[in-house]
Amino acid sequence: MDAISVEDLTKKYGDIEVLKGVDLGIEEGEFYALMGPNGSGKTTLASIMASVRSPTSGKIEIYERKPEKAKEFLGYVPQENFSSPMLTGKENLMYFAGLLGYPKKKAKSIVDELLNKIGLSEDADKRVSDYSGGMRKRLEVATALFPGVKILILDEPTTGLDPSARRKFLGLIREIKAEKTTILLITHIGADAELASRVGLIDDGEIIAEDAPEELKKASGLKDVINIETTIKSGRVANVLGRFSEKQKVLETDVGYRVYCEDVEEATPSIVRALDAIGCKATRIETEKPSLEDVFFKLTERTVREVS
Amino acid sequence: MGQITATLGKTMREFLRQKTILFWTIAWPILWVLIGSFSFAGNAQDEGIPYIKGSIAISMSVFALMTAGIANLPGNIAQDRERGLLSKLMSMPINPWKDFVGRILALLAFSFLAAILVTLVGYACGARFSYTLTGLSQSIGFLLLISLSSAGIGMLIGTFIKHVHGAIMSGVGIAVVTAALSGVMAPYSSLPWLLQQFAKIYPISSGNSSVTYLLVGKDYAGYNPLSTSQTTLTLTTSVLLFVVGLIVYSRFCWRKD
Repeated sequence: MDAISVEDLTKKYGDIEVLKGVDLGIEEGEFYALMGPNGSGKTTLASIMASVRSPTSGKIEIYERKPEKAKEFLGYVPQENFSSPMLTGKENLMYFAGLLGYPKKKAKSIVDELLNKIGLSEDADKRVSDYSGGMRKRLEVATALFPGVKILILDEPTTGLDPSARRKFLGLIREIKAEKTTILLITHIGADAELASRVGLIDDGEIIAEDAPEELKKASGLKDVINIETTIKSGRVANVLGRFSEKQKVLETDVGYRVYCEDVEEATPSIVRALDAIGCKATRIETEKPSLEDVFFKLTERTVREVS
Repeated sequence: MGQITATLGKTMREFLRQKTILFWTIAWPILWVLIGSFSFAGNAQDEGIPYIKGSIAISMSVFALMTAGIANLPGNIAQDRERGLLSKLMSMPINPWKDFVGRILALLAFSFLAAILVTLVGYACGARFSYTLTGLSQSIGFLLLISLSSAGIGMLIGTFIKHVHGAIMSGVGIAVVTAALSGVMAPYSSLPWLLQQFAKIYPISSGNSSVTYLLVGKDYAGYNPLSTSQTTLTLTTSVLLFVVGLIVYSRFCWRKD
């Protein structure tokens, strides 16, 4: 049985079509990641599932009901930090327990259990304004884990978290996954999407590929990737590297480029020489297996995240 | 625990823990009670001074109610929208009307707490009142109308001004300017004719005059705000502002894109 079923879903804002006939099925207990760049329509799709927005046309069902009739099954965690910074972690969760109509005693016991689960029992009485980004995000996930929730929708939950907070957060998601909760993770980070059992790549309002992460990589035909850190980043450097890369395209990263070649060992010395010839040094060269971000780049020739 | 209690508790805690809110709603009116009591009342005849101080305390209590409704409520609404809480609430099996009732009850509780504190400071500074039990209960009714009309204006601001600081500062600006123009902060008799008409139409000002009339005396109200026509006007405009604010808030803040 599909926990979430989407058929030919469209969403328009005036003349702009944000979703262009999306079809999607997520099975009960599945961990599905929807990965795409900013503006690809992934947040819009999640917010339609969560009854925050209405579709223009098409069909969407949560456990065979319209989203508005299935709110009790759904835990939605929007991208923004919606917890109140003026309240303590415990007060925030008690507020949500109250909204859901739990009697005070029952609410307290559920909230204590949730705080324990997300590892915030000791910080429960601190104000959220004193929480780190990671603590706050874990608290917000807890607001979506009250009894009865069967589907968890997380919109860009790791954006802005430092590596340690991100690792801790993803550990929590793995624990939730083990409890057979259906999870839909909206992300633009390939490494986060790799945790899912199935990944949908969304671009310009359409799902362009969908499969298990490893299958997507295999299907892309990408072999090894050379990750190069350079002293200079410019169009000229990208052009030089492009000569060694598939379809002459290289992916720009924060510190350099990713080059896609058939034979890494043969290409590496030539790349170093070619860079030297234009006065650019390669400060670090690594060979890596392709990531989901590389797969997205291969399919769209666009990066999934903005390079800073 | 119900949804109303949960929203009331959360909103009340936020009001009581935010320095900006405490400043504009409690500290600012108290400051004006102190300034008014020790400077403006200085030239009056001795026997009138306690009642002038009384009318100042009432005006500043009304200003506290105004600020709570016109600035704090929209700030709270804008804050919840800006940080995604309204989206989160829309995804939950809850009733928007209960959210609204919880917010208004918190506003009323906080407003009246602020008004009581301001009045007590006025009393400590020598303010005196002259009232009957009936007059006191009628005054509470007028204070409630002031709160409701302020909440109506606040909901309009909170719905249309999206950013928190924009909503708060617009609210404070509207509260200060309308209080000054409508005679909440100045004697009615000192206003030019046009502003005197505004003072009678603007329910917060006419409510203020009604409370002053009932708790201090007719000489301090400037006109008779308790005539049938004026009371009807105060009641109608208060309810109208509240209802318009409520409709706009429920239609636009909780509307799906």
